[in-house]
Amino acid sequence: MNDGTNIAELKGVTKFYDTRIKGNAALNDVSFLAKAGEMVLILGPSGSGKSTFLTILAGLQSPTEGEAYLFDRNIREYSSHELQQLRASRIGFIFQTFHLMDSLSAMDNVLLVMGFAGVHGKAARDRALKYFENFGIQHLGDVLPRSMSQGEKQRVAVARALVNGAELIIADEPTGSLATQQGMSIVRLLHDSVRKENRCVIIASHDERISAYADRVLYLHDGILRISPGNNGDGPG
Amino acid sequence: MYALKTIFDQRLKFIMTTCGMALCIMLMLFLLSVYRGVYVGSLGYVTSCNADLWILQRNATNILRTTSFIRTDQRELLQSIPGISSVSPVLIINGTVRFKDRSGTVYLTGFNPANGNGGPPKIAEGNMLTANDQIILDQSFAAKYNIHINDRIRIKDDSLTVVGLSSGTNMFVIQYAFITLAKAHSLLGFANIISAYLVKVREGESKQAIISRIYAAVPDINVFDRTTFIKNNIKEMESGILPLLYMIAIIGAIVLTAILSLILSINVLERRKDFAIMKALGSPKGFLPGLIIEQSMILIFSGLAVGIIFFFPLIRVLEKISPEVSAVSSSTQVLTVCLGAVIISLISSIGPIRKLNRIYPLEAFGKE
Repeated sequence: MNDGTNIAELKGVTKFYDTRIKGNAALNDVSFLAKAGEMVLILGPSGSGKSTFLTILAGLQSPTEGEAYLFDRNIREYSSHELQQLRASRIGFIFQTFHLMDSLSAMDNVLLVMGFAGVHGKAARDRALKYFENFGIQHLGDVLPRSMSQGEKQRVAVARALVNGAELIIADEPTGSLATQQGMSIVRLLHDSVRKENRCVIIASHDERISAYADRVLYLHDGILRISPGNNGDGPG
Repeated sequence: MYALKTIFDQRLKFIMTTCGMALCIMLMLFLLSVYRGVYVGSLGYVTSCNADLWILQRNATNILRTTSFIRTDQRELLQSIPGISSVSPVLIINGTVRFKDRSGTVYLTGFNPANGNGGPPKIAEGNMLTANDQIILDQSFAAKYNIHINDRIRIKDDSLTVVGLSSGTNMFVIQYAFITLAKAHSLLGFANIISAYLVKVREGESKQAIISRIYAAVPDINVFDRTTFIKNNIKEMESGILPLLYMIAIIGAIVLTAILSLILSINVLERRKDFAIMKALGSPKGFLPGLIIEQSMILIFSGLAVGIIFFFPLIRVLEKISPEVSAVSSSTQVLTVCLGAVIISLISSIGPIRKLNRIYPLEAFGKE
């Protein structure tokens, strides 16, 4: 499955939010490489640095020390406009609490993000409908998030993340607000996108059940990334 | 799409905001209309008089707020100046009109109804004067005091019959009333003075040459051509309370800007997470500021629509309650307010857009 294309990479990344307190790093000398066609699970408790890890990977913030690469290019070399375009068309996000726009229908939530990538009109609607059908949510097109179940919201959120053909999917606790059954069905959708569409999915979670679907599982604890015991991944660095 | 749906998602807030904006818009339209009404009412008389030249007492420049007395025997002198076609005297004095148990002050204008020059610009109802015991009142004054045609009013000890109601003679703070010159002299108690002469120049004659001849022949006077005299009266009018109306309209615009800016800022704070998410998801650079401007425009145009729809009936009601409030509306005023509203909406967006810059995409991550 893994075709060897580098998607996201961290080299010796350390992140301080307050550089005056050197002993309190959100990430500490983290090295990591994610390739196309793999699903990587980052396991860690709350406050372990998972969100920092994901946001640096997505180019939303820079490391204090070390280097971060997206699609084989140092994120410092990207202009803010280029990073915006990357996030719109090559990176998809799934958030713990779905973060759908309350005032927009499911379809409009997806179309909004397609608009960010420059896809509009009938082409956008047709593509969105295809995803809705694949995810079994075609009946939700005109429904507002407030009228959806948690599972439905998360399916819409996954559709939103995938619809622009993103090569990198970053999922922050995607099962955190879902019942077991619903959570695993979402992970399966993401797993399918890795297998069928050669995407790279990086999930940060404390839900160990996801490890059954992951190609690699890594542990993040107090900002330090480690290979999970008994895992066959190549680990950090 | 997002801007529209976000606004309509909170209907009560939208309705309240629209009402607030509509009130500000109505206030601005009202003040501009009153300004226009006073302008038209103050100048209606001067512009309607059929005069090429106005002759007033020396140092008097207008008829709005200047006392001018000229001797009546100078009329023959003026009439004898070559190039002058006609000379019509008018006498303007303040007079108190009493009707039943109420009284009001008018700008009592005595003129010669035989040629009509110096009389009311337009008789909206009734007829021109035919006798000395008749009067034409401004229609808003008559409405205010509930005076009708054929009613008898009193000025000093004289009883006069209302034969006509004029329009274009409401100066807001005071209104014109018209009587014969003979009656005006009788009320004043002096028959040998008038306020101004309205001069018609023979066709083909140079007005400037006639003015020079008048100055040479008649002492202690000021002579103005029609254009200059109208300008003098405009200048006098604008030095009164009118700038205050503009000031209040500007304050209304500032209040509108503040309300709109506050509403948009609250909206940004309420939707902070949405904006952070959109930033994280790669919204283009101008997209989010564009949303704020779009919301601002939607709100302002809603306020404009409601304000304009309710403004005209409101004016009719106000005129019923207070007839001396003369509001003259025009499409230019409405367009001016619309243009002002667009500018206000853009200015109101500046603060909320600056707030956007302090929202970070990282806020989309982690638990709510």
